[in-house]
Amino acid sequence: MLGGVFHAAVLFLVAAGLQLVFGVQKILNLACGSFYALGAYAGVSAVNWALAAGAPPPIFPLVLVGAGLGLALVGPVIERLLRTIYDRDESFQLLLTFALVLMFEDVIRFVWGTAPHQLSSAYLVYGQLRVGGLVIPVYNLMGFLLARTRFGRIVRATAENRGMAEAMGVDVSRVYVRVFTLGVALGTVGGALVIPATAAVNEMGIDLIVEAFAVVVIGGLGSMRGAVAGALIVGIMRAVAVATYPEVEMLAIYVVVIAVLVLRPAGLFAKAAA
Amino acid sequence: MITNRRTFIKVLAGAAAATGARLDVAPALAQAAPVRIGVLAAKAGVTAPVGESGLRGTQFAVDRINAAGGIAGRKVELVVEEESNPKDTVERFRKLALQTKADVITGGISTAVGLAVGPVSEELKALWLAWDATTQKGVEETIPKPRYAFRSVDNEAEAVMASILAARQFKGKIKTVAGINNDYSYGRDNWAAFLAIMKKFGMNVTPVVELWPKLGETNFTSHVAALQQAKPDLVFSSFWSGDAPILMKQAHAAGLTQSTKFVLTTAGGVHESMKKAFTPEGAIMGYNSLYFEAPNASPLLREFSKWHQERFKEWPNYESDHAYFTIVAYKAAVEKASKAAGGKWPTTEQTVEALEGIEVESLSGRRGYRSDHIMEASYYQGVTTHKNRHDFVTIDPVEVMSTKQIQKPSGTGLYDWINSWSV
Repeated sequence: MLGGVFHAAVLFLVAAGLQLVFGVQKILNLACGSFYALGAYAGVSAVNWALAAGAPPPIFPLVLVGAGLGLALVGPVIERLLRTIYDRDESFQLLLTFALVLMFEDVIRFVWGTAPHQLSSAYLVYGQLRVGGLVIPVYNLMGFLLARTRFGRIVRATAENRGMAEAMGVDVSRVYVRVFTLGVALGTVGGALVIPATAAVNEMGIDLIVEAFAVVVIGGLGSMRGAVAGALIVGIMRAVAVATYPEVEMLAIYVVVIAVLVLRPAGLFAKAAA
Repeated sequence: MITNRRTFIKVLAGAAAATGARLDVAPALAQAAPVRIGVLAAKAGVTAPVGESGLRGTQFAVDRINAAGGIAGRKVELVVEEESNPKDTVERFRKLALQTKADVITGGISTAVGLAVGPVSEELKALWLAWDATTQKGVEETIPKPRYAFRSVDNEAEAVMASILAARQFKGKIKTVAGINNDYSYGRDNWAAFLAIMKKFGMNVTPVVELWPKLGETNFTSHVAALQQAKPDLVFSSFWSGDAPILMKQAHAAGLTQSTKFVLTTAGGVHESMKKAFTPEGAIMGYNSLYFEAPNASPLLREFSKWHQERFKEWPNYESDHAYFTIVAYKAAVEKASKAAGGKWPTTEQTVEALEGIEVESLSGRRGYRSDHIMEASYYQGVTTHKNRHDFVTIDPVEVMSTKQIQKPSGTGLYDWINSWSV
């Protein structure tokens, strides 16, 4: 069960990035998985570098978070590229962001090589608890950010009606850059934080994209609460399936996806604010 | 720079003379034109590290061959194409055979690709020496009695060897077993072979849980929880990619590595990732056909390991050996056939005949092709130890078995063969 919650926590972070970007920018960002993989690799490098530089081992979670946040700097660059397709058909978004997935895979291979990367010592217990414990603060923080701050009000206004927000003097392109960077940060921090429990491997991103989409379908596109619920459902369904009837591990998730699509096509929390 | 008409004519004349001269020696040059070796190597996804390893072995072989004067006096030129999905890879195979006019094509890791490339190699009469990619079910049907395709070692050979070692090591000490293998034919075949051999050796073990995560999975916390619940005495896994260290890491964190025995048939493929911090001593671990620290390592393997370590800051693994073998086997076959043909460059058919039953020195020792086009090799497995100079586990003692012992003979089914053993 703990395993399921751990997996759910990781899924939540990536799915939350996906939700945020879709909610505001209406972009289906397949590259969210790549940010996750990039975060994982950067996390390994950062911790190894910090340890080599003589940093005390207990601060490694901070190093990981730092690596994830630092990496979010790729956000504005990618957002610049996405600007060309804001007003175009969704298939262009999927094509472009999928191209990014492939390109990032090559970038990772070029920078880190093909062998799996991991931390030299097993910090697993920290990793599981920390990532698991992170969901609620992140969820609360996102809620606070979106509901109570000026930035959040602007973001929500933009998400609601871009034209009107613009007419009211909101610099929409700046909002987009910030929102996208925040979305990237959720992915990269998620990736960096799983590192104690696993190893960074090249294909880890692609794998997660599929599951993150299952989460989004279950929870409802664009909803933060949906991301939490969807991630928990997917994570726990998998854990239960593996424990009881391992053959249906993958099937179980998609049965839920289909059930949601049939009974509540918009997802469980489709009406909630982004 | 051509400044006036007179120099221009001179240059033109010179060029004509040069062309003339080249035309004169053209027949001799054709003889010494480089041999083109096409290579199909995976570059993306789970198989990318394996493709990379194969390319390294290929490069090492070609550098050595060229330094020593080439194949029958012709230098070797490599043309590398990517192995991806079956459809695209078949197109690239055709391109290598028809457009590049490669004399031989090596490579191939995924069996899905192998099943598609094999028939095309037969159709085009293009010599293909697979690294892997031709080991699983369906190969007999798709590439029956191959003439131009040469196949790799059987899938289950590693599981067969590891199971024999497990029977020897753990007889009377285990009652329950669990399997965690990737959900495709390689994983399923290995687990089935393990169970069949346990039965043959009278181990009286009960499988308590069988887990089938998909290839590429990077989170096994749920699987480890299921293993903890089932409390097996032994866990058998044929993981070969980044998943092997992840499984051990998560199993270690859950306390599973203290009491449970492990059999890791193929984790030697990612041996540097199997850190001491989470991989226990006393597990059975397989390195396929190349163990970089083999106690009886030949000067060739030592040279390769050193070259590999200096160049890539890593110790080599088995796919380098498969790839190295295909190149040196081709060289030996061509030279043998050329000798028989009175010094002329042999036809593909003559090379094929020379390849059948050939034996050469590869990185891992003597390797060859059976007359049914299946590879013979030596496999290296043993019991993990922490007593070494690395931060990852190695094996001691090292067991070496020939595929003559652990691969089913030509024309026999795997289970009939296992049942025919006298133990």
